[in-house]
Order: sequence, then structure tokens, then C-alpha cells
Amino acid sequence: VKARNKSDALLSEGTIKARCIVEPQRRIIGEILFTSQPIAFLQGVDPETGVVSDKKHELYGKPFSGKILVFPNAIGSSVGAYVIYRLKKNHVGPKAMINQNSDIITASGCAISRIPLFDLADSDLGRLREMKYVELLKTGAIRSLAGTENI
Amino acid sequence: LYLTKSEEKAVSGEHGRAVELAYRVLLAIGRLSNAEKLIPIKWAHVSGVSFLTIGDYGLDFLQSISKEKSAKFRVFTTVNPCGMDIENWDRLNIPADYAEKQLKIIGAYEKLGIASSFTCIPFESYKVPVRETHVSWAESSAAIYANSILDLRTNRESAVSALASALTGKTVYSDLHIDENRRPTMAIKVDLGRAIKGSVDYGILGYFAGKCTKGVIQFRGIPSTNGIDESKALCAALGTVGSTGMFTIGNSSNNLETIDFSKKDYEETFENISDSEKGEAVVFGCPQMTIEELYRLSKAVGDKKFKRKCVVFCSSKIYELAKTRGYAEAIEHAGAVFVRDSCADFTPLISSLKVDSVTTDSVKGAHYMKSVHGVKVALKNVESIIEENTA
Repeated sequence: VKARNKSDALLSEGTIKARCIVEPQRRIIGEILFTSQPIAFLQGVDPETGVVSDKKHELYGKPFSGKILVFPNAIGSSVGAYVIYRLKKNHVGPKAMINQNSDIITASGCAISRIPLFDLADSDLGRLREMKYVELLKTGAIRSLAGTENI
Repeated sequence: LYLTKSEEKAVSGEHGRAVELAYRVLLAIGRLSNAEKLIPIKWAHVSGVSFLTIGDYGLDFLQSISKEKSAKFRVFTTVNPCGMDIENWDRLNIPADYAEKQLKIIGAYEKLGIASSFTCIPFESYKVPVRETHVSWAESSAAIYANSILDLRTNRESAVSALASALTGKTVYSDLHIDENRRPTMAIKVDLGRAIKGSVDYGILGYFAGKCTKGVIQFRGIPSTNGIDESKALCAALGTVGSTGMFTIGNSSNNLETIDFSKKDYEETFENISDSEKGEAVVFGCPQMTIEELYRLSKAVGDKKFKRKCVVFCSSKIYELAKTRGYAEAIEHAGAVFVRDSCADFTPLISSLKVDSVTTDSVKGAHYMKSVHGVKVALKNVESIIEENTA
């Protein structure tokens, strides 16, 4: 019991409160794919392979599939929403997305693709950089599971 | 975000998957903007019609939505121009594989239920509702026009959000739907040392203002009533750069942060857009031509003939009207070619003209034709274009 309490306390230190923009059906556990750079879905992402295709982007060549994609916001054409849909349809999309200041492109794209989307608004996206695995809850809580500075 | 009982049922899928997805889009945007509720709208204007903009990805989604029996547009819905003249595409050098996909997009929209014209100036062809009516318009130039000239209430919607509004008859009650958000937050003081006049002047002003402001803009030092062509040019250029969804004209006593628009600003903005002295072809109609503009064009050409290729973009509805009044015949007699229901910027037609430069009176057109088709652009007012390109 003691051990469990301790681990709960550690977990709560590693919890970030977010807003659910597109809520998950159930809790989601996944590995973080982090970038501090915005993503242009149209022309910056290959929806057939599910990787960032822009060579100048720090996520260049890294697959989204099965990951929780963390980026500040989308930029570029609003057709980007349809690219997110295509990613999902091709089974190469991320499990969920977390933004700093989410936008209409990402929000509408995730909504039509049923990809859960969280928005941090108040806390710093950088806190997620050091986290490896996280759990996303329907309440909007993001909990670090391992590999954070707290554990 | 508060949902009514029937909205909640729709979100849970009671009215089919398409309506459910549409509500999910509105919910997501509502949460993003901290909106309190959804409100009914009278008119949706949907963008994302040209295959050149939405591509296979958009086509894919539209087909999956329109396949559903229960998916129908629930309010009056107009759509943006598509990427070719629907009836004359083969005579206008549009590749067959492109045309096939474009026709599939149109088929999907038609199945959902749209007004007949493909137009970026829907207010020209269809009856505008009374002031303060809530609508949901994508196409930035039309949304800005709706708020600023027609006194309708709309945000600058995206292709997907306006589609969601069409499928549900609702929009998110936020931003420019709320009266207190419709007050100017910034002013632009226009002083060119001469009168501001015509689509080029107003386009340059819009391009300058869009780049240096956000929020509702108050223009000072310009006439309170403008020609429809001038307002259209201002709205289109504003929407091309920047995020503003509305402007006012006037001189309220409010202490607004004010930016000057001088002769020097005008010249710098002009040179930034117009990078050629002459164009090898003439393009009219970005946004599409109104009946009044076609009338004036027909008078301006008179008995003269175009020395270079000239293409004129307007909706099929306006074309039919222009035909009954004789304007279309006069313009065609001068050698110009009408392209109906298409967008001047997002059609392969411009590339297929095989020219390195075009002349146009549209700042928005100049911006997109340069970036989409890689041509150089000579920006000139309609009178000079006619003078230099006809004989």
C-alpha cells in the first residue's frame, strides 16, 4: 500500500492538466513524439507513409504511427485537415495529438478522423519533451508513466 | 459548451455518421474558442471545391460523407468556384484525369445539395438575408464582405468547418458572431495625397492592412460607400494575407492604435506584388466578375479586339445574365474567353496558357498566380489593361 501511495504521488507530480478538444473514447497510453516546431500538414507531411516530409523539420523521417504527437500548432493550408484524415485512413496516423495553442486545422482534422486532441493552453509544452510514455485521460489529464524527471 | 438534447443525440450518431462527424467538428472548434453554444445559421458557403486545392485527400473525405443516405445539407448552401469550366474543360486544355477527379468532387457536393452556381461572390447571385443574420461562410473574401459590407454575422470559416455547418445548419457562437467582438481594435489612416479609386488601389490597401493588423480594422480617410468592385478587391486582398475577418469605414472617436497608409507604403506594397511591366495574357475575375463589371468591360472594349489572350472568370449564373443583356457577346466578340464556375487562381488553366507573365487588376489574383503557377504579374487597373491590350 505504501509503495502504491508513493507511486501515486510521483505520478501526480508528473501530471499536466489539458483541455480535451477531441476527447478520447477511453484512456490512451502511448509513446511521445515531440517537436517544438509547428507542422504544415499539407506539403509538410506524407499522408501515405505517415512521416514529416519537410527535410528542414526536426521530425523529418520519423513515423507518427502509434505515437502521441506533440507539437505547438499546425500552420499552412486548411486543407491540412484532410491530410490528417488521410493519415488515419492509411493507418499511419498518430494515436493522439497534444498542442500548445491548437488551431482550426488540427482541431477539424482530428475531429473528422476521431484522433483525440489535447490542448495545453496554460502550461508549457516543453514539459512533455522529457516524458517518454504518457497516459491521456478523458478528463484532460496527461500523466507521465516513466522516464520523466520525477521518476 | 452547452448542447441541446437534439444536438447531443446527433453527436452520439443518431442521425448517421456524417452528421455526427460534422457535430464533432463544431464541438472541437467550439472548445477551441471557449464558445458557450452552437447557433442556427441561414446560409453556408463552402470552400474546398477545386481539385487543385483539396486534392485526393479532400475528394476521399467528401466521397465518404456523400455516400451516406442521411447526409444532406440542412441549410441553403453555396459552394466556391471549382478548378475548371465544367462544360468546356476539354476545349480549355484541362487534362482528362484532372477533370475526372474535379467532376467527382462536384458530384459529391451535388449529392449533398448545393445551389447551382460555383462562385466566390455568392452575395451577387443569391438573395442576401436581412442584416445581422448568422451565416457560416468559408472563402475569406466572401466572409469579410459578409461582415463588413452586408452586415451579416460570420467567422472566417475553413472548408471543413463550413461543410460541418452545411450538414448541421449550425455554427459555433464565437468571435464575430458576438456583437461586442465586432468593434474595431485597430485603425488604418489612408492618405495617398490623392483619391483612392478602383480595384487596384483598394487591393493594395487590403494587402497592406492584412499584413500589419489582426482583429477588426477601422479604415479612415476612404469614402464610406464604394463600388462593389472596390469593396470586393479590398475584401479579397485582406483575406489573402493576415487573419482579419471584418473592417469598418469611419472615424470613430475611439483611441485606437493607428497605422498610416501613405503614398510610400502604397508604392512599396505595389512593387512587392507587381513584378512585371507587361503580361503575355490578361486575366479578369479574381474574385469572379459581377454583372456590373461585365457591363463596364463590354463598354470599355467596344469594337476593339484583344491583342493577347484574355480570360474572364465569372459564375455560370452571371454569364447567363450577361448573355441575355448582350455583354457576354460583346466581350467574346473582342476575343476574350469566358471561363465559368472556376477560380482564376486554382485552375490548371493558367499554367496551360504557357505564358511567363499575366496582366490583371486583382491583387489577390496576383498573389496566388505568382505562388501557384510561378508566373510574373503586371498589376494594372482595368482602363489601362484595355488600352494596352486591345486594338
